[in-house]
Amino acid sequence: MTNMTYREAVRLAMIEEMDRDQNVFIMGEDIGKYKGTFRVTDGLFERYCQEPRDWLVEPPHPEILDGVGRRVIDTPITEPGIVGMATGAAMTGLRPIVEMMTMSFSILALDQIINHAAKIHYMTGGQISVPLVIRGPGGAANQLSAQHSHSMEGWYAHVPGLKVVAPATPNCAKGMLKAAIRDDNPVIFTENPGLYSMKGDVSDNVDEIIPFGKARIAKEGKDISLIAYSRMVNVSLAAAELLAADGIDAEVVDVRSLLPLDTETIYNSVRKTHRAVVVYEDWKSGGFGAEIAARIAQDCFDDLDAPVGRVGGLNVPMPYARVLELQCIPNEQDVLAEVRKIG
Amino acid sequence: MTAKNGSATATRVKASDPTDQLPRDLLSREEYLELFRQLYLARYFDVRLIKEKKKGRLTGTLYSSHNQEAVLVGSLFGLRPNDWISPIHRDMPAFFMKDLRSGWDNPDRMGMSIEEVCAQVWCKVGSPGRARDNWSHIGKKDKHIIHSTSMLAGTIPVAAGVAYADKLDGGDTVVVTFNGEGSTAQGVFHEAINFAAVHKLAVVTIIENNQWAYGTPTHLGYPLEDYARRADGYGIPGFIADGQDVFDVYDKVMQAVAWGRSGKGPSIVECKTFRAYGHGDHDDDRAAKYRPQDEVEQGRSRDPIAIAKKVLLEKGYITESEATLYQAEGKSAGQTTDEDFPPEVVAYLKRGVDYALKSPAPAAEEGERWVFRV
Repeated sequence: MTNMTYREAVRLAMIEEMDRDQNVFIMGEDIGKYKGTFRVTDGLFERYCQEPRDWLVEPPHPEILDGVGRRVIDTPITEPGIVGMATGAAMTGLRPIVEMMTMSFSILALDQIINHAAKIHYMTGGQISVPLVIRGPGGAANQLSAQHSHSMEGWYAHVPGLKVVAPATPNCAKGMLKAAIRDDNPVIFTENPGLYSMKGDVSDNVDEIIPFGKARIAKEGKDISLIAYSRMVNVSLAAAELLAADGIDAEVVDVRSLLPLDTETIYNSVRKTHRAVVVYEDWKSGGFGAEIAARIAQDCFDDLDAPVGRVGGLNVPMPYARVLELQCIPNEQDVLAEVRKIG
Repeated sequence: MTAKNGSATATRVKASDPTDQLPRDLLSREEYLELFRQLYLARYFDVRLIKEKKKGRLTGTLYSSHNQEAVLVGSLFGLRPNDWISPIHRDMPAFFMKDLRSGWDNPDRMGMSIEEVCAQVWCKVGSPGRARDNWSHIGKKDKHIIHSTSMLAGTIPVAAGVAYADKLDGGDTVVVTFNGEGSTAQGVFHEAINFAAVHKLAVVTIIENNQWAYGTPTHLGYPLEDYARRADGYGIPGFIADGQDVFDVYDKVMQAVAWGRSGKGPSIVECKTFRAYGHGDHDDDRAAKYRPQDEVEQGRSRDPIAIAKKVLLEKGYITESEATLYQAEGKSAGQTTDEDFPPEVVAYLKRGVDYALKSPAPAAEEGERWVFRV
């Protein structure tokens, strides 16, 4: 195990997979010499592209473009174009990783993602697969406001044909990104910007992947299940500590894979604790936590001693002023309040 | 491709015959001096905010328009009050410089007040956006200013829609959109201009070609040198202006505006300029590491204030001693002092900053307001 940040774990997964498979490449905006806006792709350009002889030679300059771009491709600002190009490349057998500068910008590419990447396999009767990974920061950072703070994972988890994961720890990030790159389906891999600098022990095994569809018990407990994914796992762990002071022993379930969803682990936890609160950063109304809550309510009805609680983001476009922004993002006090509310 | 090819595009539609009188020839000495003064105002806005942020009195990201002021000032100066504009993040001064000709302190002019813009920057309730979104994401319908957006080129279709609505109303207003050269790769850039060309809408698309789209140089964004040639695909005029020369920008934009106002349709004006510093102030210290230092130095060497000053001297509109009075040119924000700017410019900004600092922040509980019109 090596201690590293979430950002480094994401980068390491890409390096290991790009080393292992020549078909893997990455494309996105400002990911080359600029290293990505969140510095996730730091070092990839140098590792996989020959240093161009003169970066600013006047076009036409095919030899330079070849040096700049073969496996780490700086694209123009064109999210639908990037996803469209990556989808085509994936259809022919390459394994593109698309970095979205922020998942909020993937909204621009919804047509390409939903109407093309996600449906091609089905529409062609299984003839064509699209091994594509779309990854990038999703959720609120710090005062990036309405158009940079979207939590998109619930939207994508609605779409048949996509796989959607939202890991909470550096180790999960590495193992699940490797799984995503090796998967033959389009995968949405969302990285909460608040996690990038979080540190943790990460497996050194280059062959170890963390398969999708398997939730993780982040903390065992017996009195209530806090069910979360991505950064909200940390919030739930913090809430569990506060609850412990009140003598309540909370279990924290890290869902980490939304589609496919591991209901078994979730249900087993609820059957043990008889209480559940689902915690998610996305807008509370219609967010993916609502789906989890609905399934628990229906499938664990006889096991529940209280209605299923939900903690989600406030239903407003993310405001810019910090004081307003903080109102919108769930925190441990919100979890505590919901636990008390359901009784 | 050379600049000549792009200019030829414009010539072909008879929009810039060299024998014709240039728009600038109709300007008075006072108007030349006002254009010059506005360059200082745009520069000082940038300088002042950078200094406010360094002092820790300001949060958020500043997208500096340093070295690109001639594009803003030259484009806005000749517009009619009722014309619409759609600036982007690097065009912050445009919000209060629109219709500045009607009087800097005229409350009825068709531009935002300096107080409103500063309140927006400081995230206060007195801002047009009521602190709901960041610096440049403001619009003001009654002043005919379309909001800026994160999704670059995203407001060009909005602009085309505005122009379409105006045309249906029988109006003759022009909509001027500002964009970086990077934005031209977006699909909606094409979709919007194509629509405008089909419907002969008075949309002037200004391409501020500052050579860098965040961290990506132009040659990775477009295979030709002149972005104005994008106009060829729509059969519309594509003008090329020296973006460091406020009078050249004025000439080319006024020709484009006249073309649109006369019902002939949209056009593109590429203003060749250079982004002097990082993409945003968060990028400032790293700028040199992904940009060749000699390119950066060369790009900063043609300061629009110095170029305009030279023109005024040549025309005899200012004396040698007047030319040395204020010397902001060639200096970074940190190198300037208030003495490098005309006192009325400093006072104007001070008014805005003072207002913003005094204005209240929004109350925490009002976050859910204005999601819907009720």
